[in-house]
Amino acid sequence: MNTKHSYGAAVVAAALLAAQPLALAETIGPGGEEATPSSTVRVADSDVITLRNGNYKAALLWHDQSDFVNAVTAGAKDEFARLGIEVVAETNAAFDAAKQRSDIETSLARNPDIILALPLDPVTSAAAFKEALADDVKLVFLSNLPSDYRHPRDYAAIVTDDLFQMGKQAADALASAIGGAGEVGWIFHDATYYVTNQRDNAFKTTIENDYPNIDVTAEAGISDPARAEEIANAMLLKNPDLDGIYVTWAGPAEGVLAALRANGNTSTKIVTLDLSEPIALDMMNDGNVAAIVADEAYELGRAMAAAGARDLLGQDTPPFVVAPAITVDKGNIARNWRISLNRPAPDSVLNAR
Amino acid sequence: MAAGKPADAWRSKLQGFDLQQHLIYIGFLAIFLFFAVVLHDDGFLTTRNLTNIILQTAPATVMAIGLVYVLSAGEIDISFGSTVAVSALAAAVALQSMPLVVGVAAGLGAGLLIGAFNGALVAGLRLPSFLVTLATLGLFAGVARTMTDLRSIAVINDAFTGFFGSGRLFGVPSLVWWTFGAVLVGHWIFRHTRFGAHILATGDNPGAARVAGVKVARVRFAALTICGGCAGLAGLLYAGRLQAAKYTLGETDLMIVIAAVIVGGTALNGGRGSIIGAFIGALLMGMLNNGLILMGLAVSDQMIVRGVIILAAVALSLRNTAR
Repeated sequence: MNTKHSYGAAVVAAALLAAQPLALAETIGPGGEEATPSSTVRVADSDVITLRNGNYKAALLWHDQSDFVNAVTAGAKDEFARLGIEVVAETNAAFDAAKQRSDIETSLARNPDIILALPLDPVTSAAAFKEALADDVKLVFLSNLPSDYRHPRDYAAIVTDDLFQMGKQAADALASAIGGAGEVGWIFHDATYYVTNQRDNAFKTTIENDYPNIDVTAEAGISDPARAEEIANAMLLKNPDLDGIYVTWAGPAEGVLAALRANGNTSTKIVTLDLSEPIALDMMNDGNVAAIVADEAYELGRAMAAAGARDLLGQDTPPFVVAPAITVDKGNIARNWRISLNRPAPDSVLNAR
Repeated sequence: MAAGKPADAWRSKLQGFDLQQHLIYIGFLAIFLFFAVVLHDDGFLTTRNLTNIILQTAPATVMAIGLVYVLSAGEIDISFGSTVAVSALAAAVALQSMPLVVGVAAGLGAGLLIGAFNGALVAGLRLPSFLVTLATLGLFAGVARTMTDLRSIAVINDAFTGFFGSGRLFGVPSLVWWTFGAVLVGHWIFRHTRFGAHILATGDNPGAARVAGVKVARVRFAALTICGGCAGLAGLLYAGRLQAAKYTLGETDLMIVIAAVIVGGTALNGGRGSIIGAFIGALLMGMLNNGLILMGLAVSDQMIVRGVIILAAVALSLRNTAR
């Protein structure tokens, strides 16, 4: 998992999780909203002139810095540039709720018309964004929603990953890697985090519903990624014949990979979520990793900017927007890495081909 | 010559002016003027923005005041970030079912207790304050996480949020009152009471202070307790401002507050401190953050520029200390 993103995304947790059951067939919004594909959130060319003449300004108030945030920022900036909207402030709250509040207040001095942000926490963010609301700034949230904010009164849209599809595609990839039959292990995130819970459960649900010849014979929760190796060792000790293992995100997957290598196991396949150089390198070298499922971070940023601009124009915006998931395998890694993070895959990965 | 007297008087005044001692004020003014010129069309000089800088730095200012006492006494407290979180959460939890006074007492009491705990270990058991507070930093960070099982707690007591956050008195935001109130009280005790002199004497030379009749252990205990109390108040200010409390509050303030205090003229090794300097130092940190964002710099560039400026300021301040 891109933990930095997922932290923010995941802290939707309490608010979102309470609103829905875990085993869903698709990603749904905090209030049970249907997901709208991000590809449908666009600003028509005919509206670009209007926006360009408006001398509008935008602020990007992020929760942290990471590859993921960089890609979201790039997507947003490119779309804003196309629309003639100036980005006047860019901040990093470093997961500090007080800093996020200060960042909002500070950026308002530049009178932005649109704010794109990942609210760190539904509770603390509720007060933090009030000043922006009072200034009639169009708010577009990434993966999280302040408590009691209502669409379209308070915000233009929430944009997030297609969480169900990420889990489902991971299941499809692992099933394909083990020939559609066998025994698999399921290492899930043992915490009430909206993002990881939806992804993990989508994997399991898909295996159970779509692959009758595959059994999930081993399950282990993980709350501390640093313990992934020992958890995997214990799982392999009890289930030495596992054909595949799903790991909730790339960080712990590196630990699982280390455990397999230490056991001399070259046959058990791993599928995990979010891009990571060591995991990708193993895949390229025909190791245990069969596939990685990633999100389209650049597209998330583009869709956020487009949603904010549409709101400025007085056009409808869907309340809950999801960007597609993409399966990254050995054959498509150069292309899909770029699609996901808007930058080339590391040379070490590309040269391993 | 009669005409020469005023000139001589000015020359004498200038010769007596200690540039190093006033570096923080000169630096603050220089950076303020730089932002005022560069960002004159970008909202920097608006009343709202300048007020925001004070509001945003209020908790850090209060923490800095506590740290001046501890550093001046020759000790250090690196646990105040965790104390802030515990205090804010204690107040928020109490306010869910109890009145304002209980919430305030819970928050302040938690801070004072943690400070007294640190003080007892340092003064009573003669353990190094760095190691004690390094341990309690982790200990109380864990306590903060356990208190609410990582959940954020909303503060819905309007009296509390008004008093410590969004309220106004005579048109002035309550956080501004708290800031100036804490600075004035902190400065008065530090500069104009016997206790303040004992703090400095203890930090400057504990042996000599002891010979002079200063109860060194008691002074150290008091300094660390005050620091805990200030962190408790900072927790209340955070809870009031955010209308919520979370276990992460205060976590990222450690380095900023230490930098503010050092830049403000307090010696790391004790015996010298300035509450006003720490206040200006905290404002400088807030102003840097504010100005660099308004300049539209990318986040990484903001970090680099801020780091360079703080490095320069600390280097100049410590050069002064070395002399």
